Amino acid sequence: MKKAATIITGTVGMDAHVIGTKIVSRTLKDAGFNVVALGMQVSPEEFISVAQETNADAILMTSLYGMAELDLKGFNEKRMEAGLGDMLLYIGGNLVIGRYDPKEVEPRFKKLGFDRVYPPETDIVTVIESDLKKDLKAKGKM
Amino acid sequence: MKKLRVRNKRIDDDLLMKKRREELDRWPTGKEVDFDEAVAYQKSLPDSKIWWKVMAKLREEGRMSVFPRAGTPILEDMIELCQSLRESGVVLIPVTTDSYTRAGQYEKVEDILKECYRTGKPLLNGYPIINYGVKKTRKLVESIDAAFSPRGAGGEIGIASGLTTFNAGIGFLGFGSYSKNMTIQQLVEHSQNGMRIVGWYADRGVILCTDLHGWLPSAPFPLSVNIVCQIIEAVTAAEQGQKALYPLVPCMGNMVQDLAWIRLTPRLIREYLDKFGYQDAMITGTCPAQTPLFPVAMDLGGAFAYLTYVSMVGALSKSNAVDLRSIDEGAGIPSKDTNTISYRAAKWIFDVVREQKIEIDVKDIDTEERVTEIEVRAILDRIIELGDGDIVDGTIKAVESGVLDSPWSPNVNVKDEVLGVRDARGACRYLEFGNLPIPEEIKEFHREKVAEREKLEGRKTDYHTAVKDLWSLSKGKIVGIPPYDK
Repeated sequence: MKKAATIITGTVGMDAHVIGTKIVSRTLKDAGFNVVALGMQVSPEEFISVAQETNADAILMTSLYGMAELDLKGFNEKRMEAGLGDMLLYIGGNLVIGRYDPKEVEPRFKKLGFDRVYPPETDIVTVIESDLKKDLKAKGKM
Repeated sequence: MKKLRVRNKRIDDDLLMKKRREELDRWPTGKEVDFDEAVAYQKSLPDSKIWWKVMAKLREEGRMSVFPRAGTPILEDMIELCQSLRESGVVLIPVTTDSYTRAGQYEKVEDILKECYRTGKPLLNGYPIINYGVKKTRKLVESIDAAFSPRGAGGEIGIASGLTTFNAGIGFLGFGSYSKNMTIQQLVEHSQNGMRIVGWYADRGVILCTDLHGWLPSAPFPLSVNIVCQIIEAVTAAEQGQKALYPLVPCMGNMVQDLAWIRLTPRLIREYLDKFGYQDAMITGTCPAQTPLFPVAMDLGGAFAYLTYVSMVGALSKSNAVDLRSIDEGAGIPSKDTNTISYRAAKWIFDVVREQKIEIDVKDIDTEERVTEIEVRAILDRIIELGDGDIVDGTIKAVESGVLDSPWSPNVNVKDEVLGVRDARGACRYLEFGNLPIPEEIKEFHREKVAEREKLEGRKTDYHTAVKDLWSLSKGKIVGIPPYDK
């Protein structure tokens, strides 16, 4: 069996809403992943440098304060430059300010390089079992 | 028994004056502050603008006000926003500052503010009080017959402008809920060395009011730790010279507990203020508040119900203020219209329910009050023991050892070994006690209550139950298995 995939977690930008990423981290650990939990207020640069250091297979970002799009400006280009094009990128939470249809938000974040985009109140166990394991297997990382 | 005391390294007056000036010199508007003139201006304010007096009057007259959140960057719009609040019956008005002002990025604010005026759009998420300075903020204060409180930032520009609250004491809010790396020693040093300002004004006859928050229970979690921290905040603020305080009591959604905690919190704060020798510090009232996860932006009905629930608790507990967000809380920034709708609804409840002066005599409320009181006393006794009589030394040791602990904190220096869940009636119970010195009989009480839920649901409670309970209020299902789990 291959060694456990390495997943980085954290809230992006200046967002202090930490509960989501704590739940994500704990559930990933319970599912047997190697988790690098960066906690709240992680800059895009920190995500990238830690991903390089740890040779991470995926980043699972969370955000609640509605400003993730501003925080992630230029993130995709930087991660490509850093040679992390093969790494999976997921994001979930309250991703824009105001009332919105999550379906309209998804393509905006797909454009920013995210493989999967989740609305508020997503069940993380389902994400891991249905999406993450499948995506990692497809990339031969599980 | 050891003599009770509050360690406080009071900085000397010359150094205090130097530090105050340095802080104001960070932006040109600081020059508008003349300390003696600020005292004179504060003394010239009518009673209707003095926070502690407004709260005292509300209490005397058996009335209440919403204490909302509001801030928008264009001055004229801010005045209009506050006028609309006043017209909705609000006499306690916030000046919520934007995030960049809170971070001290005044140059950035200046550029964005110009852009706001150029486009007519509110591009900052609050009122940039530092960049506006004293003259302009006085214009705001003088436009509306109500008391003003800075939220997030303001410093002495706020005081000189006629805002009449100011933070004092060891504030757990920043440490426990917003900071990632701050240590408890840093918190103590920061709040004790820099916060002599309220005392300086009090010495000159200007009483600024302080709202106590305690360590926020970010999720369903019994309120004992929060109340302990409110007491620590109160006595440390009083040691700095603070004379007027009031607690914000987070409503967790079980009405019996919420009413018990609203009754208990000010009673114990008073008792400990007296015990430590601060009989002259007054408690100006009690303010039930909203803390747990708000319904998502799209669920307007849920948001509305949540607001009116807290209003109802405020009315039934005969509080004189209620800390309310608006139905737009989940969406980010409230508009003038949604503020008006939200606070008119609250006022309706105050006018209809509170006026009935309902006397609530419920055995369960007494039980919850007694249980929490025992917990609070047990934790405080342990803190004072750890500090050998000194509550500040004890607090430092207590946080480091998990004697004071709260779940879901972003701060890496917090133990985070405790957890709460709801019981079969939606009340908050301890699932994991961590190192909290809760007496064994009380632990058993919590375990029994959790067991009742397990029986109801037919399964064990664990970490995942605690996670599901995070949504209990925002999804409007407080008892039993939430509907999304079917």
